[in-house]
Amino acid sequence: MLAAQLIIDGVLLGGTYVLVAQSLNLIFGVMGVVNLAHGSFIVLSGLFTAWFFGLYGVSPLLLVPLTFAVVFAAGVVLQPVLLEPLVKYGRRMELMSLMVTFGLNYVLVEIALQAFGSNYVTVPYLQGVWSWHGITVSQSLVAAGALGGLLALLLHLGLNRTTFGKSLLAASQSEVGALSCGIDVRRMRLAAFAVGVGLAAAAGALLVLVLPMAAESADQLTILAFVIIALGGLGNYRGVAVAALLLGLAQSAMGFLVGGDAETVLPYLLLILFMAARPKRFARAVR
Amino acid sequence: MRPFTSWLGAAALACLLPGLAVTARAAGPIVIGETTSETGPLNVDAQYQLRGTQLAIDEINKQGGWLGRKLELRVYDDQSTPGTAVRLYTRLITDDHVELLLGPYSSGITQAVAPLINKYRMATIEPGASLPDIFQKGNEWNVQGIASSLQYLEQVLPLAKQKGAATVAVVGLKSAFSLACYNARVEQAKKLGMNVVYTATYSLPGPDFNGMALAMKNAHPDVVLGCTYYPDAVGFTQALHNQGFAPRFLALTIGPVEASFLKDVGPLANGIISNTSWWYNFKTKGNAKFIADYKATFHEDPDYHAAAGYSAVETLGAAVAATHSLDQAKIRDWLLHHKVDTVQGQFMVDQYGLYMGQGQQLVQVQNGVLKLITPADLAQAPLEVPYPGT
Repeated sequence: MLAAQLIIDGVLLGGTYVLVAQSLNLIFGVMGVVNLAHGSFIVLSGLFTAWFFGLYGVSPLLLVPLTFAVVFAAGVVLQPVLLEPLVKYGRRMELMSLMVTFGLNYVLVEIALQAFGSNYVTVPYLQGVWSWHGITVSQSLVAAGALGGLLALLLHLGLNRTTFGKSLLAASQSEVGALSCGIDVRRMRLAAFAVGVGLAAAAGALLVLVLPMAAESADQLTILAFVIIALGGLGNYRGVAVAALLLGLAQSAMGFLVGGDAETVLPYLLLILFMAARPKRFARAVR
Repeated sequence: MRPFTSWLGAAALACLLPGLAVTARAAGPIVIGETTSETGPLNVDAQYQLRGTQLAIDEINKQGGWLGRKLELRVYDDQSTPGTAVRLYTRLITDDHVELLLGPYSSGITQAVAPLINKYRMATIEPGASLPDIFQKGNEWNVQGIASSLQYLEQVLPLAKQKGAATVAVVGLKSAFSLACYNARVEQAKKLGMNVVYTATYSLPGPDFNGMALAMKNAHPDVVLGCTYYPDAVGFTQALHNQGFAPRFLALTIGPVEASFLKDVGPLANGIISNTSWWYNFKTKGNAKFIADYKATFHEDPDYHAAAGYSAVETLGAAVAATHSLDQAKIRDWLLHHKVDTVQGQFMVDQYGLYMGQGQQLVQVQNGVLKLITPADLAQAPLEVPYPGT
């Protein structure tokens, strides 16, 4: 029973991680941009959700599409202004985009601080539990984990089953190849960034159901997403999904067996181990 | 002759300028410096402390200030990090030349700035530092302004034992205050002959707490004690519920006394025990006025951090008035040897600056309202057992 409980908790925690990581994976894969502002999109959405819920009592689940749409629109505006002009710098673009998104992160965190304050918040919604033969499952964790997983699955299907998605994948695999097939790579970069940050916002609206969140949580979430991508493989959406679930399972087990210290340090430890054991794959991931 | 007189004039002016500057400063407000955690995980409680301090200063200014001068509070955001606080206190002392200092929020941050305060010999009351280790021989420029962290939740285990509890789980955040509390409660449980079945520490930003909550559930403790700050108090409460585990007694140090805690965890707060060094019905000097003014100014209820911030200014004012000066050595010596009646109770410290005044009392959330449950003569309600966890 104990093992089953740990597996359920771990899978659901991993489910919330899947969307956090896949949204960054999309931007990273298509644009070659390590979006250091990724976590700030997540917390902005999470803090907005908590604020809106506190004010109007609206279900946070209903806010998932709303936050996606608003941040998607913000992405459509931001990408051509901040990131597209960097493409002409070729290889130097990677370093420049790091600096731009680093700055954007500061701006967004400051906006979050000014708009919502610096308090840690969470949403007291779906606080019930389901119990079955000694196993208990939190309703909010199920909602966040299952919806996060479902959105990540939709992204996966969208990328692999639609023409537009295949064009996005093609652009991420070879820009020259995609151009030669008549794909508007510039449009693909715009779509990848907008969908990526939109999904990050959706992840934020779900995460705030299960984790106390503050503006300062942004960096931690960015690092978490990056660790999962490094473990699962850049552009490998299945690999990233598996890595997210495994990380959730490992953290759940660590928290149970050793305590919170080990649980917090685990993602960083795994990243170091991965870098030491698979340096070539890691280098590919960050290239 | 002319060059010589010019140099002489310049030299005379150079000699006079510092004096003029001192005269100008003396005529201006007394600047009191401190940092607070406007951002970071400590910000909720730190802001209460700051608001208490600000209220006291505003009230003193309405009465004309100290030594015929108004007060000005200069505050910087230490971002809940000790390194930033050290840098900012250095700035307050060496660049801003503040005449008086107050301590920051939290033991960890105070521990970091305490050597600096000693180095510059600034008599500093620290209303946010409960860790007793800071206030010892050789560190006497730091004066504690709140009860020791060893007293946090101290009354819970004897009460629980009286009601038949035998097993205990203790968790603590890895911070100076929380670890002191954590170690004290583990030792206390052992001394009381209770079985400590689970212990764990963690850091912030935190884990998801579910793994630790499951481990606690598996260990079957009657009492769960959490030496927490605000975010982990929320996280633990939710995680215990997620695991379907409600210990008979759930007690958390910092968090449950804040109004936002009840909002964040909803009905799960009912039955949680916490502690406070100040309460509404304390028959302390000026308490009713403090509560009324705080509510009128900030449109919220105060908590014990606010009372500690307010009391620190009251105490510092008593020292300045008694010594008729801003001389740091005189203020420090006066503080070490005198008692002051404040809203949180009587201020008194030992020869090293360790607080010996009002200790911690217990409160419990009952039907969404915090009620004082100790001491017996002031208790608003008896302890309710068990913690329902729903």
